[in-house]
Amino acid sequence: MEFRPRNYVAEEQSHSLPRSRADIHPFSSSSPQSILRQVDDNEENRNNEEFFDPLRAPDSKASVEPVDGHDFESSSNGNDDSFPVQTKEWTSFKRFLMQRFPVSKMISVSSMSNTIVRSGKAHEKSSSSTHLEELDDPQKFSETDTKVITQQEYVSRLHELKDEINRAWHSEDRVKSLKLSIKVARLLMDTSVSNFYPTLFVLVTDVLNMLGDMVWERIRQKAEFADDGARLCSLRAENFRASDVPIDAKETCYNWFCKVGSIRELLPRIYLELAIFPCWRFLIEQPAESLQRLVMMTRGIGDPLASAYCRLYIAHHAQKLPSHDTGYLITCLNDITLIFTRISSTKESAHGCFADSKRSLISLMEPSVEFIMKCILNDASQRRAGKVLVELGLGRSQEELFGGSLCVSIVLHHLLKELPIDIVSFHAVDILHLIKCSNDNSYDQCLNYRLVGLRLSEQISQIGSVEAVVNEVIQVVSEYGLDEYLKVVDAYLDIVLQNQMDGHLKTILEGISKLASDKVLAEDELASLQSILVKLLSHFKDLEHVFSLNHFLQILDMMHGNSRGIVNMHILDMATRNGYVHDPTTIQLLFEISQALNSDTDLVNMKNDDNQQQARLISRFVRMVDHGVEYERHLAFLMECRGALGSIIELKEILVHSSNCLATKALKDGKKHTAFVKTCIAFSEITIPSIPGHIKQLNLYLGTAEVALLGGLVSHSDGLIDSAINCLQSSDWMEGSRTLDSDGMLSSIRKLCSLLVMVPGNPEVGILHIPKSILLIIHSRSWSPRLKARILFAIISLSATLSQERLPYHADHPEIMGNDLLFFGDSSYVRELLSLTESVLQNLVDVIEQEPSRAARGSLSLEACNCIASSFKINEHVLSVCSKLIETAKLCLNAKDKYLTSTISFLYKNLSAATVSSSIAI
Amino acid sequence: MSTKIDLSLSRPNRIYRPSEPLEGKILVKSASSISHYGIRMAINGSVNLQVRGGSAGVIESFYGVVKPITILSRTLEIRPSGKIVSGTTEIPFSITLRNPKEDNSERFYETFHGTNISIQYLATVDIMRGYLHKSLSATVEFIVESDKADLLNPPISPEMVIFYITQDTQRHPILPELKSGGFRITGRISTQCSMLEPLSGELTVEASVLPICSIDIHLLRVESVLLGEKIITETSLIQTTQIADGDVCRNMTLPIYVVLPRLLTCPTVLAGPFSIEFKVAIVIFFQSELSRLHPKSDPLTPRLWMAMETLPLELVRARPYASWTVES
Repeated sequence: MEFRPRNYVAEEQSHSLPRSRADIHPFSSSSPQSILRQVDDNEENRNNEEFFDPLRAPDSKASVEPVDGHDFESSSNGNDDSFPVQTKEWTSFKRFLMQRFPVSKMISVSSMSNTIVRSGKAHEKSSSSTHLEELDDPQKFSETDTKVITQQEYVSRLHELKDEINRAWHSEDRVKSLKLSIKVARLLMDTSVSNFYPTLFVLVTDVLNMLGDMVWERIRQKAEFADDGARLCSLRAENFRASDVPIDAKETCYNWFCKVGSIRELLPRIYLELAIFPCWRFLIEQPAESLQRLVMMTRGIGDPLASAYCRLYIAHHAQKLPSHDTGYLITCLNDITLIFTRISSTKESAHGCFADSKRSLISLMEPSVEFIMKCILNDASQRRAGKVLVELGLGRSQEELFGGSLCVSIVLHHLLKELPIDIVSFHAVDILHLIKCSNDNSYDQCLNYRLVGLRLSEQISQIGSVEAVVNEVIQVVSEYGLDEYLKVVDAYLDIVLQNQMDGHLKTILEGISKLASDKVLAEDELASLQSILVKLLSHFKDLEHVFSLNHFLQILDMMHGNSRGIVNMHILDMATRNGYVHDPTTIQLLFEISQALNSDTDLVNMKNDDNQQQARLISRFVRMVDHGVEYERHLAFLMECRGALGSIIELKEILVHSSNCLATKALKDGKKHTAFVKTCIAFSEITIPSIPGHIKQLNLYLGTAEVALLGGLVSHSDGLIDSAINCLQSSDWMEGSRTLDSDGMLSSIRKLCSLLVMVPGNPEVGILHIPKSILLIIHSRSWSPRLKARILFAIISLSATLSQERLPYHADHPEIMGNDLLFFGDSSYVRELLSLTESVLQNLVDVIEQEPSRAARGSLSLEACNCIASSFKINEHVLSVCSKLIETAKLCLNAKDKYLTSTISFLYKNLSAATVSSSIAI
Repeated sequence: MSTKIDLSLSRPNRIYRPSEPLEGKILVKSASSISHYGIRMAINGSVNLQVRGGSAGVIESFYGVVKPITILSRTLEIRPSGKIVSGTTEIPFSITLRNPKEDNSERFYETFHGTNISIQYLATVDIMRGYLHKSLSATVEFIVESDKADLLNPPISPEMVIFYITQDTQRHPILPELKSGGFRITGRISTQCSMLEPLSGELTVEASVLPICSIDIHLLRVESVLLGEKIITETSLIQTTQIADGDVCRNMTLPIYVVLPRLLTCPTVLAGPFSIEFKVAIVIFFQSELSRLHPKSDPLTPRLWMAMETLPLELVRARPYASWTVES
């Protein structure tokens, strides 16, 4: 057998494609037109397998999804269908209510709610003991006449009632469903378990809405169809008039209102009328007038909580009316305001927890204020919002919107939340003044200041008098403690930054550092501080500018824990976003930050996603550090990193790459840096073993070996290659449990082989010592035949290359000679190569036969064939191997397979050339 | 053999005015054909009076039932004797209530169901089938409302009276702390009210030393029956409507809005042998430990923790002004 002589230079010239200049970079963003076209294509080819960008292409499927407003109110139909948005809003509001006020497991139920408590359901006291108590002290008896049931029982009982109402209705017993509904509504009279009240409200109104829908549907049916089923009229259109409704239907409708009107208790009477409120449309043209009456009637409910939720239910039904009159809602709000004033003016009584219960009562009432305010100011124009302000007594006129009376702060809060942004921007100073004056205990004053800041930040350029606003706020916060200070300042920071109010920024930072010094920061304070620092960081482009701000670093030092970590991550992200980091002070600072971040990370689980991000940021920072020509210093930095941040695996890889890169840079400098390069290589060599994963190590060793070779350090590179081989040896049984990354392994071994082309053979250990080691490894492993075969191809190619008189490439170092020069004309060298390849060839056929998949076996055979044909001169021995392989391929593949046919033709071409040359030889 | 007879009136609410004909159908469902001696329709209206032992003396209670006053009694033959075929047969009828030939002074009182007095109108159909078979019959009540011609014209505007309730206006003993601390509840309420309009008004708690527990509006009927030389009067509760539940805000105006129940009310009647009048009572309950000892007391009995004001209420049948009401 004989290796084929190759002329690499000539081959490259003949095979390389002609090059031509391109006008557009293939990765540059394409013109909008082409995007448009692409989108069109996607519409047409939705079912094709072509790739389309889900972010760019509008996904029509997702956007046309129907609005599902029925997940909660499964029985809701009829009139609700025309208000799907409100239904959805209501549904989400209900969910919010239930979540905001979670309920303890047990609920005490007063004896009044005997609708809920049925015999056997409650843990009743034995009758004899109650009797005794009754005799003993009748007053005590009446007070303790409560039963305790679980929330679950309460809820399931309500669901039962709902079903019962539904059943009674459908079995034509409408009086019974009405009676049961009244019982259910009556439950809302009991506010004794106040935390349960919002949930109860949701459950009860669900039942009532169901009844309301059924009544509506029945009357509509009666109006549209006569008894005998003939169609009388159509009320489908949402704008039908009461005068269109036939008299019989009106009669039925009026009866319902009479029945509801005869309920003795006030609260259930209001709720029931509200439930069937839409039915007023069958009777009168202007149902909103009745709403005004209901608002007035609600004043009769003395319990603040019950009345607040009753008003909430009014607002809910008011939304279903087509008219946009908000007068009754404003009355609602004014009435609630009165109640708040009454609550806060109640004198502190003997109970110690009075203030607490007040606060919890106010927070329970808050959703009502919130919802009503939303209804009033929903999409309100500036002019209408102004009118609302006047009606609420806040403004004197459209010109003077905030000159009137004071406002209860909780109402003010929700007002500010919903007001059109233009009004807030224009009247900012007046609003701040109003907040200052309305300092009752219904809501935290600082949160109102904060809210104004956040609202103003929505439209910073539109603020009327920024200077006055910020001055006022700075003055207000100067009296605050740290927590409030941070909360308010955080909201105004964007305004300060965007208007370049450097003086104020200085004051703010000074204030923070003064208030926070010598203090262990609480969780809330840390969160605000975090938000402030992140705002600062994202405002300034230049990190050094931020660091140079007075007190910035001092404040940063006060932080700890998770918030500190987040700020640190922002800093690192910012530092590395704009290219390399050169400034030594900044580097030192960032290093310390990385250290802090890392030590936090160590405490928690390393597998965490957050921590991965931190690791990535730190690694990126280390990669982006650039000390310029101060190589020694850079290497010292890398060492420091390894010492301090060694627990980050990702970083250690970066360290090896950086040190290799540093060595290469030093080499390219041209000066004598051998000692430094040696240090770099030593650094890498020491670092690599601590990185888990043998393939990773293998690649890093190879990279380092290449650098060593570049530096002319043959013995170093030999040692490194040996280490790489060791990695390969230990790889399989170390990583046997996981599935072997055979592609990675193959590419690493191929890389090793291509490196070996440059490495001068060492006669002391045998010039083919390394390929032989690889072969040994292959034999001892249970790798897949595919992997084995391809490694064998690589070794065949390597041997064929090494046999050439002129190698395709050499190490870029004057002192290193390639094998072509070292063993020029040495026949024993070529013989050794040949004997190795012959043994490989023998193996190869067997390995290929072991491949289980037919298709893979076929293509492997062809690959082998090509490899052999390009490595050897064709002779009989080679030809017999090749034809054997072709036979295998023919068995496995389709006869028309392109790869098969082209391989066969390639073989024939070489064969004819060989026979010509051999015939000449003969 | 099952034969069913039914009487169905033309209006589902069964309300008719004296000048209008009472219309409807007689429905006969029979498996076989029936021969009969005639189908007769009787319409009767009467004022039934009774005196219960409670308010009358022991002796009167023996004579508890006073002879009813007949308003209307008429029998008409709808069909002469003949045969009704098997299956469902519908026989329409139309009967004038007020006989135009008769004296116009015949008074049609409106339907009313009270405790001692009840005014009721019934229509009865009989299918006479001789002595061998029981006659088939069905009865239905219809409701009479005053004639359009009788209505006051133009529609009345509600007449309001102003009331104020303080510790000094009470005719019964009240709690000492109420007496000394005082309370003041003012408002106005209509004392003349159309049957089709709600009883309306408003009320304001101006001051109260004790927290308020509840404010109720009682609708009362006052029925008087002439028994011999004596007039027996009984006041009873028709309906209670709560307008305040709990300690309401001071100086906040609360609406009074009471829907009048049908059948249980009628226009105020002052006839010779009987009269039906109405009253409205505003009752304030104050929060008191004492009230818990008497959880189930008669709402009309004055108690220490209660304050009340009773006002006469005249109910009238006026031309309705709400747009929805029935146009004839």
